[in-house]
Amino acid sequence: MRTRRSALVALLAASALTLAGCGLGSSDSSGDGGAKPTVGADAQVTGAVSLQTWALKPKFTSYVEGVIKAFEAKYPGTKVTWLDQPGDGYDKKVLSQASAGDLPDVVNLPPDFALPLAKQNLLLDVAAADPKIKDEYVEGGVAAYQYQGLNGTFGYPWYLNTDIDYWNSDKFAAAGLDAKNPPKTFDELFAAAKVMHDKTGGKEYLMSRLPGIGDFTNAGVKILSDDGKKFTFNTPEAAALLDKYREAYKAGYLPRDILTQEYLGNSKLFTQSKVAWTTGGGNAIQDFTKDNPSLKGKIVPSPALDTPPLYVQGLSVSAKTKNQAAAIALARFVTNAENQAAFAKIVNIFPSTKASASDPYFSKSDGTPESDAKVLAFESLAKAKVLTPPIISGATNDFIGQQISLAISGKITSQAALDAAVTKANQLLTQ
Amino acid sequence: MRYQRWFTPWVLVIPALTWLLVFNLWPSINTVILSFTNAKPLGGGTFVGLKNFETLLHDEQLRWALLNSVIYMVVCLPFLTIIPLLLAVLVEKKLPGITFFRTAFYTPVVASAVVVALIWQWILDDRGLVNGLAEKLGVISGPLPFLSDQWLLLLSAISLTIWKGLGYYMIIYLAALGNVGRELHEAAAVDGANALRRFVHITIPGVRGTMILISILISVSALRVFSELFILSGGKGGPGGRDNSVVMLIQQYSQGFEGNLGYASALSIVLFFVTVVPMLVLARLNRRGAEA
Repeated sequence: MRTRRSALVALLAASALTLAGCGLGSSDSSGDGGAKPTVGADAQVTGAVSLQTWALKPKFTSYVEGVIKAFEAKYPGTKVTWLDQPGDGYDKKVLSQASAGDLPDVVNLPPDFALPLAKQNLLLDVAAADPKIKDEYVEGGVAAYQYQGLNGTFGYPWYLNTDIDYWNSDKFAAAGLDAKNPPKTFDELFAAAKVMHDKTGGKEYLMSRLPGIGDFTNAGVKILSDDGKKFTFNTPEAAALLDKYREAYKAGYLPRDILTQEYLGNSKLFTQSKVAWTTGGGNAIQDFTKDNPSLKGKIVPSPALDTPPLYVQGLSVSAKTKNQAAAIALARFVTNAENQAAFAKIVNIFPSTKASASDPYFSKSDGTPESDAKVLAFESLAKAKVLTPPIISGATNDFIGQQISLAISGKITSQAALDAAVTKANQLLTQ
Repeated sequence: MRYQRWFTPWVLVIPALTWLLVFNLWPSINTVILSFTNAKPLGGGTFVGLKNFETLLHDEQLRWALLNSVIYMVVCLPFLTIIPLLLAVLVEKKLPGITFFRTAFYTPVVASAVVVALIWQWILDDRGLVNGLAEKLGVISGPLPFLSDQWLLLLSAISLTIWKGLGYYMIIYLAALGNVGRELHEAAAVDGANALRRFVHITIPGVRGTMILISILISVSALRVFSELFILSGGKGGPGGRDNSVVMLIQQYSQGFEGNLGYASALSIVLFFVTVVPMLVLARLNRRGAEA
């Protein structure tokens, strides 16, 4: 009986292992080469090609259709099929397309979506086919599609954005502060948060956000090792920054529910006039006043406290495209200076092309707060950087956030939280 | 004349069998296989032996998740086994307007878990109904951190589950009560037994089998809790991720481009065994009780 049972267990184990061998044949194909194009910049552009954008319909339908029409006119014999995916669940959609080997020829991917695909050789190194990319697009935009450990540039930067600061002048006045002379460093911010708390009996808040990886980067903390294989942000400097937040939270300068991750978010609380400071893009001021008209005339924009974050959207080319020449040409065409400038004039984003820097539309204010904010954001782009490395996955980011919450709530020390976050992040990186 | 062939039963069974193989058996086997690999949504999938299970042993998040699940079960089990029975006994009576109460108790069951959790979020928020009322009445000086304290958040989620589950189990008990002989109650009443004695000695033994079934259902769903904790904690597992459940961990690890399907599968296997234990215990208790 025992022999028969052992034989059954062995058979099951053997079957499981065999199945494991059969079902999971694809190995991790990440390497340092990246998928290289087989055509040059001078290849003939013709035939069908697909373009996938992210939530541009219906607001920008006529713009995109205009660009496609212009492309087809410029390259006779080409036919562009445009797919637009809804805003929610775009990562899942792209993931399922990539898993099924069904990625459109040209696809809108932010750098953090492009990285895992590039690691699996699913995206083309566009710089290999188009060496001029570095001359025509801003450095930060191109750099966002170059990854540690991978050789290549895996997308054309399309449009950029960054954050500036917004202050509620009414709340500043109530606390005896001047919104026209807002805090310029994090230390000044904490000091102003204390004044606002003390002067209003704890009813008003200046700050309502937890620190994150971007804040560590801004504090001069090195997030990743040079080879990109280990996280290194558990430094005394990062712990000191967390300590400051912890003290502020304990003293009541921050709303308590920020720790639940369920709080509405800095920007929504600002819109609801519940906090006096938020960060946002150059166009955020219009949303604030649209959603809460009582804020009109009360919002003062200023440059970000430290290095502003750089947000990049780009167009990548699938390595499996059957029409590399047309796909590369389309990605380049959609992201050229002329098309980006036209796009930036109908929606508040900024072009990633160097030629757009001199356009007075972006660099001259008409004196309104909205225009001031746009110009401030445009000027900030010059020194903006990607503050959160795209290698930080969703699960890693969640865990780091959880540890930061524990440190701020005082349940564990800041150093212990950072050590735990780094250990887990490294574990997730190597798994 | 015989139309039946030897394969007729097999033909009839094929649709159900296919469904079972494709949607139950194969995913289960695949989960076991994946748990021994480093599979990711894109690439990966090489055999890593017991590495995922070794990592589980040192995973602090899993320890909290298991503790939360056990607390969830231990608290929910008595409340959801006893209170619905009492409610069923109350609404079983044929009184004018009793339908209103039956409907009222059952309403939370048909409400969407997401909607219910959102309502509870507003109720328990720092500036929500409970804190506002308690502060106005002078019971508390500052808001209670229902949604930002590890234990209060867990307690809030448990309360939500109990509130939402009462009506469901009440309906099951109502059906079971219909099978308890009225003559037994009448005979006991004639013999002088009061309502409490009749409840303990007639009603409870009469619905004993249902009680065991409900206990198993509660245990399993408590150990696999997701919606309530997910929504009340904003999907992040509360402060420090200490209000995660095992299912939430599985969801967190498996999502995204870099989702770790191997580790998430190993977690699923742990959850499977954790869920099977109370089922076996309760089934054994049931058998012993039936034999006694």
